[in-house]
Amino acid sequence: MSRVITQEVAQSLYKATRTAHVDADVSASFSVGDGIQARNVNPTGHTRLPRYIRGKQGMIAADHGVFQFADSLAHGGGKQPQHLYSVKFTAQELWGADAPAKDSLYIDLWDDYLEPTEMGT
Amino acid sequence: MTSNDDVALRVRALESLLLEKGLVEAPAIDEIIDLFENRLGPQNGARVIARAWSDPAFKARLLSNPTDAIVELGFEAVQGEDMVVVENTSRVHNIVVCTLCSCFPWATLGLPPVWYKSAPYRARAASDPRGVLAEFGTEIGQEAEVRVWDSNAELRYMVLPEKPAGTDGMSEDDLMPLVTRDSMIGVTKALDVGEVTP
Repeated sequence: MSRVITQEVAQSLYKATRTAHVDADVSASFSVGDGIQARNVNPTGHTRLPRYIRGKQGMIAADHGVFQFADSLAHGGGKQPQHLYSVKFTAQELWGADAPAKDSLYIDLWDDYLEPTEMGT
Repeated sequence: MTSNDDVALRVRALESLLLEKGLVEAPAIDEIIDLFENRLGPQNGARVIARAWSDPAFKARLLSNPTDAIVELGFEAVQGEDMVVVENTSRVHNIVVCTLCSCFPWATLGLPPVWYKSAPYRARAASDPRGVLAEFGTEIGQEAEVRVWDSNAELRYMVLPEKPAGTDGMSEDDLMPLVTRDSMIGVTKALDVGEVTP
């Protein structure tokens, strides 16, 4: 069945109705300041965990709250709401000793991507 | 025929086919063009930044609860639902990239530029941000920290550039032209007063 795109439909497509934030009471596995390691996994389907982060160690910089999980949504697995964190990785952890010592990269990672490390703060 | 002519011709052909087959109505196309030409774009982001430079209370709200602060100024649209604003200072320079695709805050910056979506930018902004910045003419001293923000997930990022020197007492409207799209992605700084073409 085809749907005709009218002016009204066009207007509705661009409204701010697609928040990925989920109002659900889900406990967080990590707190700000915790050391983490991104899981070294190689899923064949959709993931928001880039290869350059897998297996790397970082630190929880902020907790964004509970968000739908893009990986499971993409595979018809539902929202699987869980905490999404801003995680800090040093440039040297990601790119080696030649990277500038002060520089860093922040990336948003869901609980399912993370495991604890000894590192911490 | 230039490649732009070629694209324009193809777009016209597609548009007439879509209209002819009744899949899209003409006012819908006008609506979308008007949206991206006039209502969504870096002029919105520039308003947000100029307000933050002029109004410390707004700046505090923008950094602590960016989504609501931006909606306060009337900029509410898709790809702006969950915002993060990061502040540049003399000690920290922030740069935004989406290494996985082309995620971009439409409500405040509009559609992403072509280079932002290109594989070289996506790879190098993450692995060699200082090199990329230098190519944009932006030198960041070794005493300062560069922070890369990979908007790989559901949040959308915008940089609050440093307020240029010599702008004390300037009105919000006069500050706006100093705020470029690129400065809100973080590949450049805001323009100096002398760099704005009247």
